[in-house]
Amino acid sequence: MLVLGIETSCDETAVGIVEDQFTLRANVIASQVELHAPYGGVVPEVAARAHLELLLPTIDHALVQAGAGLSDIDAIAVTAGPGLVGALLVGVSGAKGLALAQDVPLLGVNHLRAHIEAAQLEYGELTPPLIALVVSGGHTSIVVMDEDGLCRQLGGTIDDAAGEAFDKIARFIGLGYPGGPEIDKLARQGDPTAFAFPRAMMQGDGYDMSLSGLKTAVIRQLRKMEAAGEEPNLADIAASFQDAIVDVQLDKTLRACAAEGLDQVVLAGGVAANSRLRERFAEQTEINGQRLIVPSIPLCTDNGAMVAASGANLLAAGSFVGLDLAVDPNLPLAGAAASFG
Amino acid sequence: MYILGLETSTSQSSVAIVDPERVVASAALGVPRRHGEFVAPAIRFCLDQAGIGADRITGVAVGLGPGLFTGLRVGIATAQTFAAANHLPVVGMSSLDVLAFQARYVPKMICAVIDARRKELYWALYRSSPGGVQREGPLRLGTVDQLTAELESLGEDCMVVGDGALAYRREIDDVRVFVAGPDRAWPDAAVLAELAVPRFIREETQHPTELQPIYLREADAQIGWEQRGRLRGGDPS
Ligand SMILES: [Zn+2]
Repeated sequence: MLVLGIETSCDETAVGIVEDQFTLRANVIASQVELHAPYGGVVPEVAARAHLELLLPTIDHALVQAGAGLSDIDAIAVTAGPGLVGALLVGVSGAKGLALAQDVPLLGVNHLRAHIEAAQLEYGELTPPLIALVVSGGHTSIVVMDEDGLCRQLGGTIDDAAGEAFDKIARFIGLGYPGGPEIDKLARQGDPTAFAFPRAMMQGDGYDMSLSGLKTAVIRQLRKMEAAGEEPNLADIAASFQDAIVDVQLDKTLRACAAEGLDQVVLAGGVAANSRLRERFAEQTEINGQRLIVPSIPLCTDNGAMVAASGANLLAAGSFVGLDLAVDPNLPLAGAAASFG
Repeated sequence: MYILGLETSTSQSSVAIVDPERVVASAALGVPRRHGEFVAPAIRFCLDQAGIGADRITGVAVGLGPGLFTGLRVGIATAQTFAAANHLPVVGMSSLDVLAFQARYVPKMICAVIDARRKELYWALYRSSPGGVQREGPLRLGTVDQLTAELESLGEDCMVVGDGALAYRREIDDVRVFVAGPDRAWPDAAVLAELAVPRFIREETQHPTELQPIYLREADAQIGWEQRGRLRGGDPS
Protein backbone atom coordinates (compact mmCIF):
# COMPACT_ATOMS: atom_id res chain seq x y z
CA MET A 1 0.00 0.00 0.00
CA LEU A 2 1.39 3.39 -1.03
CA VAL A 3 0.20 6.56 0.65
CA LEU A 4 1.11 9.98 -0.71
CA GLY A 5 1.19 12.76 1.88
CA ILE A 6 0.92 16.49 1.19
CA GLU A 7 2.07 19.13 3.67
CA THR A 8 1.46 22.86 3.10
CA SER A 9 0.63 24.16 6.58
CA CYS A 10 3.36 26.77 6.80
CA ASP A 11 6.34 27.61 4.60
CA GLU A 12 7.40 24.25 3.17
CA THR A 13 5.65 22.65 0.24
CA ALA A 14 6.33 19.00 0.94
CA VAL A 15 5.27 15.65 -0.44
CA GLY A 16 6.17 12.23 0.90
CA ILE A 17 5.36 8.68 -0.07
CA VAL A 18 5.24 5.85 2.44
CA GLU A 19 4.84 2.15 1.76
CA ASP A 20 3.04 -0.13 4.18
CA GLN A 21 3.07 2.40 7.02
CA PHE A 22 6.73 2.16 7.96
CA THR A 23 8.84 2.36 4.80
CA LEU A 24 9.89 5.72 3.45
CA ARG A 25 9.77 5.84 -0.34
CA ALA A 26 10.00 9.57 -0.99
CA ASN A 27 10.43 12.78 0.98
CA VAL A 28 10.63 15.92 -1.15
CA ILE A 29 10.59 19.41 0.31
CA ALA A 30 10.38 22.60 -1.73
CA SER A 31 11.48 25.20 0.76
CA GLN A 32 10.19 28.75 0.63
CA VAL A 33 12.77 30.01 3.11
CA GLU A 34 14.30 32.45 0.63
CA LEU A 35 10.92 34.02 -0.10
CA HIS A 36 10.25 34.78 3.56
CA ALA A 37 13.81 35.61 4.61
CA PRO A 38 13.56 39.33 3.73
CA TYR A 39 10.67 39.62 6.19
CA GLY A 40 12.26 37.57 8.97
CA GLY A 41 9.10 35.50 9.31
CA VAL A 42 6.48 33.67 7.31
CA VAL A 43 4.18 35.93 5.29
CA PRO A 44 0.89 34.02 4.90
CA GLU A 45 -0.08 35.34 1.46
CA VAL A 46 3.44 34.83 0.11
CA ALA A 47 3.36 31.27 1.47
CA ALA A 48 -0.02 30.47 -0.09
CA ARG A 49 1.08 31.78 -3.50
CA ALA A 50 4.28 29.78 -3.39
CA HIS A 51 2.47 26.58 -2.33
CA LEU A 52 0.28 26.78 -5.42
CA GLU A 53 3.31 27.17 -7.70
CA LEU A 54 5.28 24.41 -6.02
CA LEU A 55 2.62 21.79 -5.32
CA LEU A 56 2.48 19.94 -8.66
CA PRO A 57 6.26 19.99 -9.27
CA THR A 58 6.80 18.65 -5.73
CA ILE A 59 4.26 15.85 -6.25
CA ASP A 60 5.97 14.95 -9.54
CA HIS A 61 9.38 14.95 -7.90
CA ALA A 62 8.20 12.70 -5.06
CA LEU A 63 6.71 10.21 -7.53
CA VAL A 64 10.00 10.10 -9.42
CA GLN A 65 11.89 9.57 -6.16
CA ALA A 66 9.56 6.71 -5.22
CA GLY A 67 9.71 5.26 -8.72
CA ALA A 68 5.92 5.24 -8.80
CA GLY A 69 3.10 6.73 -10.81
CA LEU A 70 -0.03 8.37 -9.47
CA SER A 71 -2.00 5.30 -10.47
CA ASP A 72 0.08 3.26 -7.99
CA ILE A 73 -1.00 5.44 -5.05
CA ASP A 74 -3.63 3.82 -2.80
CA ALA A 75 -4.62 6.86 -0.74
CA ILE A 76 -3.95 10.58 -0.45
CA ALA A 77 -3.12 12.07 2.95
CA VAL A 78 -3.03 15.80 3.61
CA THR A 79 -2.44 18.12 6.54
CA ALA A 80 -5.80 19.63 7.53
CA GLY A 81 -4.38 21.72 10.40
CA PRO A 82 -3.12 23.36 12.46
CA GLY A 83 -1.47 25.93 10.22
CA LEU A 84 -2.06 28.98 8.07
CA VAL A 85 -5.53 28.77 6.49
CA GLY A 86 -4.58 29.95 3.01
CA ALA A 87 -1.55 27.67 2.95
CA LEU A 88 -3.47 24.63 4.22
CA LEU A 89 -6.20 25.16 1.60
CA VAL A 90 -3.77 24.76 -1.29
CA GLY A 91 -2.63 21.35 -0.08
CA VAL A 92 -6.11 20.18 0.84
CA SER A 93 -7.58 21.27 -2.50
CA GLY A 94 -4.73 19.61 -4.37
CA ALA A 95 -5.22 16.43 -2.36
CA LYS A 96 -8.94 16.40 -3.15
CA GLY A 97 -8.23 16.81 -6.87
CA LEU A 98 -5.95 13.78 -6.76
CA ALA A 99 -8.36 11.69 -4.68
CA LEU A 100 -11.22 12.54 -7.06
CA ALA A 101 -9.27 11.86 -10.22
CA GLN A 102 -7.80 8.58 -9.00
CA ASP A 103 -10.89 7.56 -7.00
CA VAL A 104 -8.85 6.74 -3.90
CA PRO A 105 -9.54 7.52 -0.20
CA LEU A 106 -8.68 10.88 1.31
CA LEU A 107 -7.04 11.03 4.76
CA GLY A 108 -7.09 14.18 6.91
CA VAL A 109 -3.93 14.47 8.95
CA ASN A 110 -3.21 16.47 12.09
CA HIS A 111 0.15 18.17 11.56
CA LEU A 112 1.24 17.84 15.20
CA ARG A 113 0.37 14.17 15.34
CA ALA A 114 2.24 13.65 12.09
CA HIS A 115 5.37 15.19 13.62
CA ILE A 116 5.24 12.52 16.33
CA GLU A 117 4.41 9.67 13.94
CA ALA A 118 7.32 10.61 11.65
CA ALA A 119 9.43 8.58 14.07
CA GLN A 120 7.82 5.32 12.92
CA LEU A 121 9.69 5.64 9.61
CA GLU A 122 12.98 5.15 11.44
CA TYR A 123 12.03 3.41 14.69
CA GLY A 124 9.19 1.19 13.49
CA GLU A 125 5.80 1.17 15.13
CA LEU A 126 5.53 3.48 18.12
CA THR A 127 4.61 1.71 21.31
CA PRO A 128 2.63 4.12 23.47
CA PRO A 129 2.29 5.17 26.22
CA LEU A 130 4.96 7.81 25.67
CA ILE A 131 5.71 11.48 26.15
CA ALA A 132 6.27 13.68 23.12
CA LEU A 133 7.75 17.15 22.94
CA VAL A 134 6.44 18.81 19.78
CA VAL A 135 8.48 21.92 19.26
CA SER A 136 8.74 24.12 16.18
CA GLY A 137 8.19 27.56 14.75
CA GLY A 138 4.47 27.41 15.35
CA HIS A 139 4.02 25.08 18.29
CA THR A 140 5.62 24.02 21.55
CA SER A 141 3.67 21.33 23.37
CA ILE A 142 4.25 18.51 25.80
CA VAL A 143 1.97 15.63 25.00
CA VAL A 144 1.17 12.19 26.36
CA MET A 145 0.26 9.55 23.84
CA ASP A 146 -1.71 7.02 25.83
CA GLU A 147 -1.81 3.30 25.27
CA ASP A 148 -4.85 3.66 23.00
CA GLY A 149 -2.84 5.97 20.73
CA LEU A 150 -4.83 9.08 21.67
CA CYS A 151 -2.95 12.21 22.63
CA ARG A 152 -3.42 14.41 25.65
CA GLN A 153 -1.76 17.77 25.86
CA LEU A 154 -0.11 18.35 29.23
CA GLY A 155 1.08 21.85 28.53
CA GLY A 156 2.76 24.17 26.14
CA THR A 157 3.98 27.67 25.64
CA ILE A 158 1.54 30.34 26.72
CA ASP A 159 3.12 32.90 24.41
CA ASP A 160 5.90 32.44 21.83
CA ALA A 161 6.62 29.05 20.30
CA ALA A 162 10.27 28.03 20.66
CA GLY A 163 11.00 28.43 16.96
CA GLU A 164 9.36 31.83 17.00
CA ALA A 165 11.64 32.91 19.87
CA PHE A 166 14.65 31.69 17.87
CA ASP A 167 13.50 33.68 14.83
CA LYS A 168 12.89 36.86 16.79
CA ILE A 169 16.22 36.81 18.62
CA ALA A 170 18.08 35.86 15.43
CA ARG A 171 16.51 38.82 13.72
CA PHE A 172 17.40 41.11 16.62
CA ILE A 173 21.08 40.17 16.57
CA GLY A 174 21.23 40.36 12.80
CA LEU A 175 21.35 36.66 11.95
CA GLY A 176 19.55 35.17 8.97
CA TYR A 177 16.15 33.54 8.80
CA PRO A 178 15.10 30.99 9.94
CA GLY A 179 16.69 31.76 13.28
CA GLY A 180 16.92 28.25 14.76
CA PRO A 181 19.75 26.87 12.62
CA GLU A 182 21.60 30.23 12.69
CA ILE A 183 21.55 30.46 16.48
CA ASP A 184 22.45 26.78 16.76
CA LYS A 185 25.54 27.39 14.62
CA LEU A 186 26.64 30.57 16.40
CA ALA A 187 26.00 29.07 19.85
CA ARG A 188 28.58 26.36 19.23
CA GLN A 189 31.31 28.99 19.62
CA GLY A 190 29.75 30.53 22.72
CA ASP A 191 29.60 29.92 26.43
CA PRO A 192 26.11 28.87 27.52
CA THR A 193 26.83 30.01 31.08
CA ALA A 194 27.94 33.52 30.09
CA PHE A 195 24.54 35.04 30.76
CA ALA A 196 21.94 33.87 33.23
CA PHE A 197 18.78 34.34 31.22
CA PRO A 198 15.48 33.54 32.94
CA ARG A 199 13.86 30.11 32.76
CA ALA A 200 10.30 31.36 33.23
CA MET A 201 7.83 29.00 34.86
CA MET A 202 10.43 26.27 35.08
CA GLN A 203 9.90 25.93 38.78
CA GLY A 204 6.11 25.81 38.45
CA ASP A 205 4.11 22.62 38.88
CA GLY A 206 2.38 22.58 35.53
CA TYR A 207 3.76 21.95 32.08
CA ASP A 208 3.03 25.33 30.59
CA MET A 209 5.95 27.56 29.72
CA SER A 210 6.55 31.14 28.72
CA LEU A 211 9.25 32.17 26.28
CA SER A 212 8.43 35.80 25.65
CA GLY A 213 10.06 36.89 28.93
CA LEU A 214 13.27 35.18 27.86
CA LYS A 215 13.18 37.01 24.56
CA THR A 216 12.68 40.33 26.37
CA ALA A 217 15.53 39.55 28.79
CA VAL A 218 17.92 38.88 25.89
CA ILE A 219 16.95 42.11 24.17
CA ARG A 220 17.26 44.06 27.44
CA GLN A 221 20.73 42.62 28.03
CA LEU A 222 21.88 43.65 24.58
CA ARG A 223 20.49 47.17 24.99
CA LYS A 224 22.15 47.51 28.40
CA MET A 225 25.50 46.50 26.97
CA GLU A 226 25.04 48.85 24.06
CA ALA A 227 24.26 51.75 26.41
CA ALA A 228 27.39 50.92 28.44
CA GLY A 229 29.46 50.90 25.27
CA GLU A 230 30.25 47.20 25.63
CA GLU A 231 30.58 44.99 22.59
CA PRO A 232 28.43 41.90 23.30
CA ASN A 233 29.85 38.51 22.46
CA LEU A 234 26.98 37.34 20.27
CA ALA A 235 28.08 33.71 20.41
CA ASP A 236 27.76 33.83 24.20
CA ILE A 237 24.37 35.50 23.90
CA ALA A 238 23.19 32.84 21.43
CA ALA A 239 24.54 29.97 23.53
CA SER A 240 23.02 31.32 26.76
CA PHE A 241 19.68 32.03 25.10
CA GLN A 242 19.59 28.60 23.46
CA ASP A 243 20.41 26.87 26.71
CA ALA A 244 17.62 28.67 28.51
CA ILE A 245 15.14 27.38 25.92
CA VAL A 246 16.57 23.88 25.99
CA ASP A 247 16.59 23.81 29.81
CA VAL A 248 12.90 24.62 29.99
CA GLN A 249 11.95 22.02 27.36
CA LEU A 250 14.12 19.35 28.94
CA ASP A 251 12.99 20.01 32.47
CA LYS A 252 9.29 20.09 31.66
CA THR A 253 9.43 17.03 29.40
CA LEU A 254 11.35 14.87 31.83
CA ARG A 255 9.15 16.03 34.68
CA ALA A 256 6.17 14.87 32.63
CA CYS A 257 7.81 11.46 32.16
CA ALA A 258 8.30 11.11 35.89
CA ALA A 259 4.80 12.27 36.77
CA GLU A 260 3.17 9.99 34.20
CA GLY A 261 5.51 7.12 34.99
CA LEU A 262 6.65 6.84 31.36
CA ASP A 263 10.09 6.03 30.04
CA GLN A 264 9.82 6.80 26.33
CA VAL A 265 10.31 10.30 24.94
CA VAL A 266 9.72 11.39 21.35
CA LEU A 267 11.25 14.66 20.13
CA ALA A 268 9.30 16.06 17.21
CA GLY A 269 9.08 19.22 15.13
CA GLY A 270 11.52 21.62 13.51
CA VAL A 271 13.21 22.74 16.71
CA ALA A 272 13.96 19.07 17.47
CA ALA A 273 16.60 19.57 14.77
CA ASN A 274 18.49 21.84 17.22
CA SER A 275 21.81 20.16 18.02
CA ARG A 276 21.92 21.35 21.63
CA LEU A 277 18.39 20.10 22.32
CA ARG A 278 19.21 16.70 20.86
CA GLU A 279 22.48 16.51 22.79
CA ARG A 280 20.99 17.48 26.14
CA PHE A 281 18.04 15.11 25.74
CA ALA A 282 20.37 12.27 24.72
CA GLU A 283 22.57 12.84 27.81
CA GLN A 284 19.75 13.14 30.26
CA THR A 285 17.60 10.29 29.01
CA GLU A 286 20.64 8.03 29.06
CA ILE A 287 21.30 8.92 32.68
CA ASN A 288 17.64 8.28 33.49
CA GLY A 289 17.51 5.04 31.55
CA GLN A 290 14.76 6.35 29.28
CA ARG A 291 14.29 5.53 25.62
CA LEU A 292 14.79 8.61 23.41
CA ILE A 293 13.10 8.55 20.01
CA VAL A 294 14.31 11.35 17.80
CA PRO A 295 13.89 11.28 14.04
CA SER A 296 16.69 12.38 11.76
CA ILE A 297 16.59 16.05 10.85
CA PRO A 298 14.72 15.77 7.50
CA LEU A 299 11.91 14.04 9.39
CA CYS A 300 11.87 16.64 12.20
CA THR A 301 11.37 19.75 10.12
CA ASP A 302 8.05 20.00 8.26
CA ASN A 303 7.88 17.26 5.65
CA GLY A 304 5.46 15.22 3.58
CA ALA A 305 6.71 11.82 4.70
CA MET A 306 5.34 12.39 8.19
CA VAL A 307 1.95 13.23 6.67
CA ALA A 308 2.08 10.07 4.57
CA ALA A 309 3.06 8.03 7.65
CA SER A 310 0.25 9.46 9.74
CA GLY A 311 -2.12 8.98 6.81
CA ALA A 312 -1.01 5.38 6.42
CA ASN A 313 -1.93 4.80 10.06
CA LEU A 314 -5.34 6.34 9.46
CA LEU A 315 -5.80 4.18 6.37
CA ALA A 316 -4.93 1.05 8.37
CA ALA A 317 -7.51 2.13 10.95
CA GLY A 318 -10.11 2.85 8.27
CA SER A 319 -10.37 6.52 9.29
CA PHE A 320 -11.14 8.24 5.99
CA VAL A 321 -12.53 11.72 5.52
CA GLY A 322 -15.00 13.04 2.97
CA LEU A 323 -14.31 15.36 0.06
CA ASP A 324 -15.80 18.16 2.19
CA LEU A 325 -12.79 18.00 4.54
CA ALA A 326 -12.35 21.46 6.06
CA VAL A 327 -9.06 23.00 7.06
CA ASP A 328 -8.74 24.05 10.68
CA PRO A 329 -5.99 26.53 11.57
CA ASN A 330 -6.33 25.60 15.25
CA LEU A 331 -6.90 21.87 14.89
CA PRO A 332 -6.25 20.42 18.34
CA LEU A 333 -3.97 17.47 18.81
CA ALA A 334 -6.20 16.07 21.51
CA GLY A 335 -9.04 15.32 19.09
CA ALA A 336 -6.90 13.67 16.41
CA ALA A 337 -8.04 10.15 15.61
CA ALA A 338 -5.88 7.46 17.10
CA SER A 339 -4.43 5.69 14.16
CA PHE A 340 -3.14 2.67 15.99
CA GLY A 341 -3.06 1.09 19.42
CA MET B 1 -15.71 15.30 -24.99
CA TYR B 2 -16.48 16.23 -21.39
CA ILE B 3 -15.06 19.45 -19.97
CA LEU B 4 -15.00 19.99 -16.22
CA GLY B 5 -15.37 23.67 -15.32
CA LEU B 6 -14.49 25.24 -11.96
CA GLU B 7 -15.19 28.85 -11.00
CA THR B 8 -14.23 30.01 -7.49
CA SER B 9 -13.05 33.57 -7.95
CA THR B 10 -15.94 35.27 -6.15
CA SER B 11 -17.86 34.63 -2.95
CA GLN B 12 -19.99 32.12 -4.89
CA SER B 13 -18.57 28.94 -6.34
CA SER B 14 -19.75 26.69 -9.13
CA VAL B 15 -18.77 23.49 -10.87
CA ALA B 16 -20.06 22.09 -14.17
CA ILE B 17 -19.49 19.35 -16.70
CA VAL B 18 -20.27 20.30 -20.30
CA ASP B 19 -19.95 18.66 -23.68
CA PRO B 20 -19.90 20.64 -26.94
CA GLU B 21 -23.72 20.54 -27.14
CA ARG B 22 -24.95 21.08 -23.61
CA VAL B 23 -24.36 21.53 -19.90
CA VAL B 24 -24.40 17.94 -18.70
CA ALA B 25 -24.42 18.68 -14.98
CA SER B 26 -23.80 21.66 -12.78
CA ALA B 27 -23.72 22.68 -9.14
CA ALA B 28 -23.65 26.24 -7.88
CA LEU B 29 -23.67 27.72 -4.43
CA GLY B 30 -25.68 30.91 -4.04
CA VAL B 31 -24.41 31.79 -0.60
CA PRO B 32 -20.88 32.61 0.40
CA ARG B 33 -19.38 29.50 1.91
CA ARG B 34 -15.89 28.15 2.06
CA HIS B 35 -14.89 27.24 -1.47
CA GLY B 36 -12.63 24.51 -0.13
CA GLU B 37 -15.50 22.52 1.29
CA PHE B 38 -17.81 22.91 -1.70
CA VAL B 39 -15.75 22.34 -4.82
CA ALA B 40 -14.65 18.71 -4.46
CA PRO B 41 -18.04 17.35 -3.33
CA ALA B 42 -19.63 19.37 -6.17
CA ILE B 43 -17.34 17.70 -8.71
CA ARG B 44 -18.32 14.31 -7.28
CA PHE B 45 -21.99 15.32 -7.53
CA CYS B 46 -21.66 16.43 -11.16
CA LEU B 47 -19.81 13.25 -12.14
CA ASP B 48 -22.45 11.13 -10.45
CA GLN B 49 -25.34 13.05 -12.01
CA ALA B 50 -23.69 12.85 -15.42
CA GLY B 51 -23.24 9.13 -14.83
CA ILE B 52 -19.56 9.19 -15.73
CA GLY B 53 -16.34 8.37 -13.92
CA ALA B 54 -13.55 10.88 -13.42
CA ASP B 55 -11.60 9.07 -16.13
CA ARG B 56 -14.13 10.20 -18.75
CA ILE B 57 -13.29 13.90 -18.32
CA THR B 58 -11.23 15.11 -21.28
CA GLY B 59 -10.20 18.57 -20.10
CA VAL B 60 -10.43 20.98 -17.18
CA ALA B 61 -11.32 24.68 -17.47
CA VAL B 62 -10.84 26.96 -14.49
CA GLY B 63 -11.40 30.60 -13.61
CA LEU B 64 -8.11 32.39 -12.98
CA GLY B 65 -9.63 35.53 -11.51
CA PRO B 66 -8.99 38.27 -10.71
CA GLY B 67 -10.93 37.67 -7.53
CA LEU B 68 -10.66 36.27 -4.03
CA PHE B 69 -7.16 34.86 -3.63
CA THR B 70 -8.15 31.96 -1.43
CA GLY B 71 -11.01 30.92 -3.66
CA LEU B 72 -8.84 31.14 -6.76
CA ARG B 73 -6.23 28.89 -5.25
CA VAL B 74 -8.85 26.32 -4.23
CA GLY B 75 -10.13 26.13 -7.81
CA ILE B 76 -6.72 26.15 -9.45
CA ALA B 77 -5.10 23.64 -7.07
CA THR B 78 -8.04 21.27 -7.57
CA ALA B 79 -7.96 21.73 -11.34
CA GLN B 80 -4.19 21.21 -11.48
CA THR B 81 -4.04 17.97 -9.55
CA PHE B 82 -7.22 16.56 -11.11
CA ALA B 83 -5.85 17.25 -14.58
CA ALA B 84 -2.31 16.09 -13.81
CA ALA B 85 -3.55 12.81 -12.36
CA ASN B 86 -5.37 11.95 -15.57
CA HIS B 87 -2.95 13.67 -17.98
CA LEU B 88 -5.56 16.18 -19.10
CA PRO B 89 -5.10 19.51 -20.86
CA VAL B 90 -6.33 22.61 -19.04
CA VAL B 91 -7.64 26.02 -20.05
CA GLY B 92 -7.51 29.00 -17.70
CA MET B 93 -10.01 31.80 -18.26
CA SER B 94 -10.23 35.28 -16.83
CA SER B 95 -13.27 35.40 -14.57
CA LEU B 96 -14.01 38.92 -15.87
CA ASP B 97 -14.20 37.47 -19.40
CA VAL B 98 -16.75 34.95 -18.14
CA LEU B 99 -18.82 37.67 -16.47
CA ALA B 100 -18.82 39.76 -19.65
CA PHE B 101 -19.69 36.74 -21.79
CA GLN B 102 -22.74 36.17 -19.60
CA ALA B 103 -23.95 39.64 -20.72
CA ARG B 104 -23.03 39.15 -24.39
CA TYR B 105 -26.54 39.85 -25.74
CA VAL B 106 -26.50 43.38 -24.37
CA PRO B 107 -26.06 45.77 -27.33
CA LYS B 108 -23.86 48.12 -25.34
CA MET B 109 -20.42 48.41 -23.89
CA ILE B 110 -20.07 45.91 -21.03
CA CYS B 111 -18.02 46.51 -17.91
CA ALA B 112 -17.39 43.42 -15.77
CA VAL B 113 -16.58 44.25 -12.15
CA ILE B 114 -15.48 41.87 -9.39
CA ASP B 115 -15.25 42.95 -5.76
CA ALA B 116 -11.57 42.98 -4.75
CA ARG B 117 -12.39 43.74 -1.08
CA ARG B 118 -10.43 46.37 0.86
CA LYS B 119 -12.47 49.03 -0.95
CA GLU B 120 -11.11 48.10 -4.37
CA LEU B 121 -12.50 46.53 -7.54
CA TYR B 122 -11.24 44.51 -10.48
CA TRP B 123 -12.74 45.45 -13.83
CA ALA B 124 -12.42 45.32 -17.59
CA LEU B 125 -14.40 46.71 -20.55
CA TYR B 126 -15.90 44.58 -23.33
CA ARG B 127 -17.88 45.02 -26.51
CA SER B 128 -20.27 42.49 -28.02
CA SER B 129 -18.82 40.70 -31.01
CA PRO B 130 -20.14 37.87 -33.18
CA GLY B 131 -20.36 34.80 -30.95
CA GLY B 132 -19.20 36.50 -27.80
CA VAL B 133 -17.46 39.55 -26.41
CA GLN B 134 -14.20 41.28 -27.16
CA ARG B 135 -12.17 42.81 -24.37
CA GLU B 136 -11.15 46.42 -24.84
CA GLY B 137 -8.22 47.43 -22.69
CA PRO B 138 -6.49 45.79 -19.75
CA LEU B 139 -7.75 44.16 -16.55
CA ARG B 140 -7.78 46.88 -13.91
CA LEU B 141 -7.56 47.14 -10.13
CA GLY B 142 -8.72 50.37 -8.53
CA THR B 143 -11.20 52.25 -6.37
CA VAL B 144 -14.84 52.84 -7.20
CA ASP B 145 -13.92 56.48 -7.95
CA GLN B 146 -11.42 55.35 -10.55
CA LEU B 147 -14.01 53.00 -12.03
CA THR B 148 -16.74 55.65 -12.25
CA ALA B 149 -14.28 58.12 -13.76
CA GLU B 150 -13.46 55.58 -16.46
CA LEU B 151 -17.15 54.83 -17.09
CA GLU B 152 -17.92 58.54 -17.30
CA SER B 153 -15.18 59.12 -19.85
CA LEU B 154 -16.65 56.43 -22.15
CA GLY B 155 -19.26 58.82 -23.48
CA GLU B 156 -21.59 55.94 -24.33
CA ASP B 157 -24.06 53.62 -22.63
CA CYS B 158 -22.54 50.79 -20.65
CA MET B 159 -23.93 47.77 -18.83
CA VAL B 160 -22.02 47.11 -15.60
CA VAL B 161 -22.11 43.50 -14.37
CA GLY B 162 -20.66 41.62 -11.44
CA ASP B 163 -20.67 41.45 -7.65
CA GLY B 164 -18.47 44.54 -7.57
CA ALA B 165 -21.16 46.46 -9.41
CA LEU B 166 -23.78 45.35 -6.90
CA ALA B 167 -21.58 46.23 -3.92
CA TYR B 168 -21.07 49.78 -5.21
CA ARG B 169 -24.41 50.16 -6.95
CA ARG B 170 -25.07 53.62 -5.45
CA GLU B 171 -21.78 55.12 -6.56
CA ILE B 172 -21.98 53.51 -10.01
CA ASP B 173 -25.62 54.54 -10.52
CA ASP B 174 -24.53 58.17 -10.29
CA VAL B 175 -22.81 57.74 -13.63
CA ARG B 176 -25.13 57.32 -16.63
CA VAL B 177 -24.73 53.55 -16.89
CA PHE B 178 -26.89 50.50 -16.19
CA VAL B 179 -26.09 48.08 -13.41
CA ALA B 180 -27.25 44.52 -14.14
CA GLY B 181 -29.10 42.63 -11.44
CA PRO B 182 -27.88 39.76 -9.29
CA ASP B 183 -28.62 37.18 -12.00
CA ARG B 184 -25.53 38.37 -13.86
CA ALA B 185 -23.37 39.09 -10.84
CA TRP B 186 -21.25 35.95 -10.56
CA PRO B 187 -19.15 34.12 -13.14
CA ASP B 188 -20.63 30.67 -13.66
CA ALA B 189 -18.67 27.47 -14.20
CA ALA B 190 -21.08 26.19 -16.86
CA VAL B 191 -20.60 29.37 -18.91
CA LEU B 192 -16.87 29.20 -18.32
CA ALA B 193 -16.68 25.61 -19.53
CA GLU B 194 -18.87 26.40 -22.55
CA LEU B 195 -16.56 29.29 -23.39
CA ALA B 196 -13.55 27.00 -23.07
CA VAL B 197 -14.86 24.22 -25.35
CA PRO B 198 -13.66 25.84 -28.61
CA ARG B 199 -10.21 26.21 -27.10
CA PHE B 200 -10.08 22.52 -26.29
CA ILE B 201 -11.26 21.73 -29.82
CA ARG B 202 -8.57 23.99 -31.30
CA GLU B 203 -6.09 22.50 -28.81
CA GLU B 204 -5.24 25.93 -27.45
CA THR B 205 -4.64 24.35 -24.08
CA GLN B 206 -2.06 24.49 -21.34
CA HIS B 207 -0.22 22.10 -19.08
CA PRO B 208 -1.63 22.10 -15.50
CA THR B 209 1.58 23.63 -14.08
CA GLU B 210 1.10 26.66 -16.33
CA LEU B 211 -2.10 27.73 -14.59
CA GLN B 212 -1.47 30.91 -12.59
CA PRO B 213 -4.02 33.03 -10.75
CA ILE B 214 -4.46 36.57 -12.01
CA TYR B 215 -3.66 38.37 -8.75
CA LEU B 216 -3.22 41.99 -9.97
CA ARG B 217 -2.26 42.82 -6.39
CA GLU B 218 1.02 42.24 -4.58
CA ALA B 219 1.06 39.85 -1.64
CA ASP B 220 0.41 41.54 1.66
CA ALA B 221 3.75 41.45 3.45
CA GLN B 222 2.35 41.19 6.94
CA ILE B 223 4.17 38.54 8.89
CA GLY B 224 2.01 35.80 10.26
CA TRP B 225 3.26 35.91 13.86
CA GLU B 226 -0.22 36.26 15.17
CA GLN B 227 -1.59 33.44 13.07
CA ARG B 228 1.45 31.32 13.75
CA GLY B 229 1.14 31.99 17.45
CA ARG B 230 -2.16 30.24 17.30
CA LEU B 231 -0.53 27.16 15.83
CA ARG B 232 0.67 26.06 19.22
CA GLY B 233 -2.06 23.56 18.80
CA GLY B 234 -3.25 21.13 21.32
CA ASP B 235 -6.12 21.51 23.66
CA PRO B 236 -5.14 23.75 26.57
CA SER B 237 -7.44 21.82 28.89
ZN1 LIG C 1 5.50 21.59 12.02
